[in-house]
Amino acid sequence: MTAAVISQPAQPHQPAAAGGGLMRRLNVGTAVAGGVILGLIGWLVAHSLLQDDDHGSDQVVLVTLTCWAVGFMIGIGAFNGPIGWALGRDLRREDELFLAGKDQGISRYFRFTTDHKVVGIQYLVVTMVLFALGGTLAMLIRTNLISPHSHFLNPQTYNAIVGLHGLIMIVATIIMVTGPFGNFIMPIMIGARDMAFPRLNALSLWLIVAAIPTLLSAAVLGGIPTGWVGYAPLADQAPPGMDSYSVFIIIFAVSSAVAGANITTTVLTMRARGMSWNRTPIFVYGTVASVGLAIPAFPMFMASQILLQVDRTQGGQFFVASGGGSPWLYANLFWLMGHPEVYVILIPALAALMELTPVFSRKPLFSFNAAVISIAGIVGLSVMVWAHHMYASGWAPDLNGPFMLTTEMISVPTGLLFLVILGTVWRGRVWTTVPMMATYAMLWNFIIGGVTGIYLSDVPADYALHGSMFVTAHFHYTLMGAGLTGAIGALAYWFPKMTGRMMNERAGYISFWLVQIGFNVTFMGMFAVGLAGQPRRVVTYAHLFATGNLVSTIGAYTIGIGMLVLLYAVISSWRHGDRAPANPWGGKTLEWTVPNPIPLENFEVMPVVTSDFYGYGEEPSTGADGEDAREPVHAGAPAGPAAAVVAAAPVEGEL
Amino acid sequence: MSVEPAVADPPRRHSRIDYWRIGWIWLALTILLVLFSIWVPTRLMGPPASPTMRAVESTMRVFSIAASPVAALVWAVAIYSLIRWKSKGRPTEDGPAVRGYGPVTITWAAVSTVLCVFLLIWGLAEMTSVTSAAEASNPLVVNVTGQQWVWTFSYPDEGNVESDQLYLPLNRPVVFHVTSKDVIHSFWVVQMGIKVDANPGVTTKTSVTPDKLGTFDVRCAELCGLRHADMETAAHVVNPADFTTWIAQNGGHT
Ligand SMILES: [Cu+2]
Ligand SMILES: [Cu+2]
Repeated sequence: MTAAVISQPAQPHQPAAAGGGLMRRLNVGTAVAGGVILGLIGWLVAHSLLQDDDHGSDQVVLVTLTCWAVGFMIGIGAFNGPIGWALGRDLRREDELFLAGKDQGISRYFRFTTDHKVVGIQYLVVTMVLFALGGTLAMLIRTNLISPHSHFLNPQTYNAIVGLHGLIMIVATIIMVTGPFGNFIMPIMIGARDMAFPRLNALSLWLIVAAIPTLLSAAVLGGIPTGWVGYAPLADQAPPGMDSYSVFIIIFAVSSAVAGANITTTVLTMRARGMSWNRTPIFVYGTVASVGLAIPAFPMFMASQILLQVDRTQGGQFFVASGGGSPWLYANLFWLMGHPEVYVILIPALAALMELTPVFSRKPLFSFNAAVISIAGIVGLSVMVWAHHMYASGWAPDLNGPFMLTTEMISVPTGLLFLVILGTVWRGRVWTTVPMMATYAMLWNFIIGGVTGIYLSDVPADYALHGSMFVTAHFHYTLMGAGLTGAIGALAYWFPKMTGRMMNERAGYISFWLVQIGFNVTFMGMFAVGLAGQPRRVVTYAHLFATGNLVSTIGAYTIGIGMLVLLYAVISSWRHGDRAPANPWGGKTLEWTVPNPIPLENFEVMPVVTSDFYGYGEEPSTGADGEDAREPVHAGAPAGPAAAVVAAAPVEGEL
Repeated sequence: MSVEPAVADPPRRHSRIDYWRIGWIWLALTILLVLFSIWVPTRLMGPPASPTMRAVESTMRVFSIAASPVAALVWAVAIYSLIRWKSKGRPTEDGPAVRGYGPVTITWAAVSTVLCVFLLIWGLAEMTSVTSAAEASNPLVVNVTGQQWVWTFSYPDEGNVESDQLYLPLNRPVVFHVTSKDVIHSFWVVQMGIKVDANPGVTTKTSVTPDKLGTFDVRCAELCGLRHADMETAAHVVNPADFTTWIAQNGGHT
């Protein structure tokens, strides 16, 4: 456990060893250089050896992109540790501190830095960049669909954009909560000094950074003409942009496995003394459920892409019927990832809202046990429902009934989560901050997303609706209306802790209303045209659907403006917002007990937990009165919200 | 740090009237949602052209009506809490320390389980009726082939008549044998509520009994490449006599 290493008393100062000098010069610049150089070498070699083959261009792209990613990871310094160990060197105390980004100011955000707080901020920025990209593409899609034959985009560009939009948004939503908040907040919330494997933490982040250019390279390689699902055999005949897709997914799957192992280990082994499972905050459960569910899910996706690459570069025919392959194999592998992934996205977002609702209602979380059981139930069921995406595929019609059963059963634990939130606000003192409004918006949107999901779980209704805009509207209501709304709530909630500044409240409200109203307008319009029979992913459509599409486009522009306002609020508040007190909302969880800015290893003295963190109304009200909240709280002298926490003997000796 | 004295008996911030008001909001929302459920989805889906589509539309209606009181309850409590329990700015005191109330949780879980079982039974019953109806005696067989980006229909028992538009006789069960020459397409007759993927290398089946004269839309519901959007054609449901004539005109026999 590297955290244990870090927390040992500093060893006597030694002069920097030869290896240390190199390590200290690596950053995102050297990473890009490494990626470009190795990518060029790979391209030259592959180009000269493979060009004449049937699958030549795909092989060249595969080799080049793989070389880029490996070069990038070498250039960022991801392999320094393993290489050092192989050579029999271990990191010294100064190296550990350097890796953790100690005293490096802003430059630590551009390095392979292990401090979980740095990684959290890096994830936040990566997520925002992905949303900006995916959102821009969404605007292009909606602009094209403003009228039945707008000719704004040609069919090839349109299909490429639809595929990229889908995949970018899926990745952005997968990492949007567990990335920024799971890394920055969660370790503090459980009273840890860092993650269990800080270097794996940096690895998971930089793998995504290395992978994003491989995905974007699809834009110049003919695009991803298959939608985000990448269904074979359309994917077998697609241009080399499809290879970009495969390489991206394979790297992303590795990243999610690394992050999953790291976060689950951290929560299992590094919770503060006294933090038994019934005192562990619900957000921690949500994070673990999400990354834990990703662990079995993403290898399926990775496997599908490896097989697809064998098809595309070696003539493997796994998915080509004329060669004995089966398109249904691809679809099954894909949805074995694809449905759990929905809950990989949703659970942490809902858990973040369940975490902040007690704070802004000043009441304990209603029925904590029901919340935990529901999350566990959703996780368990969500790996047994994948073929509801394949009712109409013709694969195993006899299984449609059983999959309808498991799918509809998910509504029971999901429904309980609504009760948990409603029970919490019931007779509370509801403080309608931006994060709390996100909870309310989720209640509105997720009901609509859930009910429309019930239609789609019904086999005959799905025969009518599958592949239509109705489905598109439905999953945007869940992933965006509930998921992204929850992530925005989480951002507004933890912004003061992560940046040390308060987020501009006015801009926050303006953005909230623009986004939520625009969202409902957009996707109500889309439900309407879907019911009327408009297929998904079409570049032109019948005149019958014109009004609904126009409405959707107007709504989408409203979302776009709202998101720009949010971006403005985040950037301007981050740079010169009001300084945030340590505990601006009067929360009770441990992250609010550490001062702003948070010291390198979070806690001077390790906290010991004596009760859970939802004891509103059970003891003298704390944190609620402004005087107290404005003072930084020192972990060694718990005050205010830290009343549930008593200081323990320094833990150095114990580790 | 100012410590408030422990309040032994906090002032009651709720009363029976809360339940009544929430009840009224709930009732109003439920009525609105039920009316919406009865009219809007089926209006948007248009008049059904087969018993299958009729079943789908009644499912949409029944599921929407069943979901209405649940959605209304969630929204009613949410709206009420925003009005009645909203704190003006930062709250100065905590709410009651209610950590849960078993009977409510159990009732909630039980009601949603009952609803879930109802949905399942409804769905299974509907599924059986929809699939069994068209497998009746003497169905018309139509082979459907998708390829980038056209549909081809052929009638094997009528002398292999081929057409790029679908012609069906009124009120006779039809079984479609669907396949593809290249990538996955999805054969969708919108107003009849049937859809099945056209997969290369295998044949999938779907069936329907058209019971409305007219021209309907056949669309491809699976992204299949460049001109996916254009992969649509017409389904004509005609009187049996006209169908026989059409077959004969195209060199077939019935
Ligand atoms: Cu699913
Ligand atoms: Cu098609």
